[in-house]
Amino acid sequence: MDSLNEIKRDSLSALLAAGKRADGRGMLDYRKIAIQPAPLQNAEGSAIAAIGKSQVMAGIKFDIAEPFADRPNEGVLSTSADLLPLASHLFESGPPGDDSIELARVVDRGIRSANVVDLESFFIEDGKVLALYLDIYVLDHDGNLIDCSALASMAALLSARMPKIEGGKIIRGEFSGKLKVNEKVVSCTFGKLGEKVFLDPSLDEEKGMDARLTLSTTPSHLCAAQKGGWGTFLEKDILDAFDIALQKGKELRALLPG
Amino acid sequence: MNGDELEGRIVMPGELLSDKPERISYAFVDKGKTYSTVVGLFSNGKLVPLEGPYEPVPEDVVVGIITEVKFAGYSVEVNSPFPAFLSSREIREKFEMGDAILAKVLFVDEVRSIELADAKKLPPGRLVKVSSVKVPRIIGKKNSMIDMIKSATKCEIFVGRNGYIWIAGSGNANLAEKAIRLVEIQAHTSGLTDRIAAFLRGK
Amino acid sequence: MSSAGKPALLVDGKRLDGRGLEDLREIKIVARVLNDADGSAYIEWGKNKILAGVYGPSECIPRHDQSLYRAVVRCRYNMAPFSGMEEHGKSGPSRRSKELSKVIKEAFENVIVLENFPKTQIEIFVEVLQSDGGTRCAAVTAAAVALADAGIPMKDLINAVAVCKIDGQMAVDPAKEEDNYGESDMPIAFSPRTGEILLFQMDGMLSKDEIEKGFALARKASEKIRKLQVEAIKKVYEEPREERFLVISK
Repeated sequence: MDSLNEIKRDSLSALLAAGKRADGRGMLDYRKIAIQPAPLQNAEGSAIAAIGKSQVMAGIKFDIAEPFADRPNEGVLSTSADLLPLASHLFESGPPGDDSIELARVVDRGIRSANVVDLESFFIEDGKVLALYLDIYVLDHDGNLIDCSALASMAALLSARMPKIEGGKIIRGEFSGKLKVNEKVVSCTFGKLGEKVFLDPSLDEEKGMDARLTLSTTPSHLCAAQKGGWGTFLEKDILDAFDIALQKGKELRALLPG
Repeated sequence: MNGDELEGRIVMPGELLSDKPERISYAFVDKGKTYSTVVGLFSNGKLVPLEGPYEPVPEDVVVGIITEVKFAGYSVEVNSPFPAFLSSREIREKFEMGDAILAKVLFVDEVRSIELADAKKLPPGRLVKVSSVKVPRIIGKKNSMIDMIKSATKCEIFVGRNGYIWIAGSGNANLAEKAIRLVEIQAHTSGLTDRIAAFLRGK
Repeated sequence: MSSAGKPALLVDGKRLDGRGLEDLREIKIVARVLNDADGSAYIEWGKNKILAGVYGPSECIPRHDQSLYRAVVRCRYNMAPFSGMEEHGKSGPSRRSKELSKVIKEAFENVIVLENFPKTQIEIFVEVLQSDGGTRCAAVTAAAVALADAGIPMKDLINAVAVCKIDGQMAVDPAKEEDNYGESDMPIAFSPRTGEILLFQMDGMLSKDEIEKGFALARKASEKIRKLQVEAIKKVYEEPREERFLVISK
């Protein structure tokens, strides 16, 4: 399949050099985005986000856990990502690989650094806190899984309900209001091929491009970033991308529930 | 059950096609009766599957990608679960890894390995993958559909029986790809040529 | 099958969710919801929400698993860590998931025309997004639609349904509570064309009479399920969509 990628890179460079994309989008356009909040009932929070043909589900479960020794008053946030084998012929069954670990960690960093969830409110009693498990479930892969996963995760958090706790135990199926969310963090991912920088790379573009840049933002600040791929970015590329991320961030936030 | 009742209908895997044993492609005979193995359209005693993998037949013209250069020839990717090989004896040109070629299926052996011949290199372009069972509609009667798409988009288009379609030239490749996708989705419907004509005019 | 804290499962001939003994839960099937998979289907069966995707036939890897005579079928049945009511699930397949993957695979090995595709593999992936009892039967039913959607030749469009014994009575399609507190659970996959049984499991305690009653109930239910499968497949062609996506009912 390597040679197919080479072909893709050739036709991709020719198009991008002319400022065009194979699906007719502008360089700084997202594909069509759709979000379904709270499609599941057993999970305490859930959402599906789709960007173009990529589809990601996020699910949230709460459990009782022991706090980390260095943070005895804080709850636990644990994010993981599964690149399901049904999502792509490129994915295989088995333990998480580098790509799924990177995906989970990039989404997690955005949520954690912007204090999206107030972990201190997860304290129950000495030695006992709530743990929030955020599972990113990639259902269909057509590129830009980071932004799609970040949207699904944020939408799942925004729709999540707090479990009811009695006698230090979770009463399943009963709730004590919504999860308090402090901030809506969204991420914008760019691709770079040659000199050209473009937003929301499709899978074909990802196969051909040299580098990837993800910027997670609050309405005013950068809260997480990740560069990927063997290629490079200039300082100016990153500063320009930040302006675009802030501007596109508004549009993405408007799609999120409540 | 008789042919008339089934005519023009979508049949399911395991559905009865005939009370007699009959030789129909994509069907099988069990206890003297004939059943479908696929989701397909039954028409004029023939069963046309609506989806499915490419099953190579000698004389098929296919689009392939050179994936490996070997001593005696080339390994070629032809959208098939089975490997395809192009012997150096069958060609004059030399190819490189990643070249797109148009070739003919010479023969298929008992474990379905494919031997290719009459290969030529295709000009720079893009690859579009469709379900191989839709290829007859994409070509159309006497090439009517594909000729219409070619002339409206000013593209050179090479359609492989295997479902690989190569769009080359300096025309509107995005529009050509969209038109081909539309044919693929609506392949089983009638009045398709008019709808595609309207789509091409609309852009 | 614990009896501690067991609620009454049958009151005046009605089950906990109001169904009669022969009633299925509500079933909704949508074919072709994924883009990259060669075939796909989504099923809602009661509160079960399950996604099936099929790839292949493709070159069988690793090579030493290849057969010169037929395609190799692989199946992965997996439960999402957020699929249950209870605590967060562990990642990675459990012993239960591995067993179910095996029996589902074996059911399909019987109906797929494997000899058409020597040296290849056909992969069936099932993801349980939300579980509510009876996930294996829903998984078989959805996977059959996904295989048909992929155009993989099969001698039949199969499905599965369980029967159970609740408060001494045989009933079809146990919901979660009936599964937990009922006396017996017997999942069955049928080939509707031949009547043959392709998947068969049971736990609990049943007399010969009850097994026969169970078969009759399951067969009747299986016919209804097949109609829904056929509708879902036909809808792909009768109402063609340009985009494929998963829509989950609340």
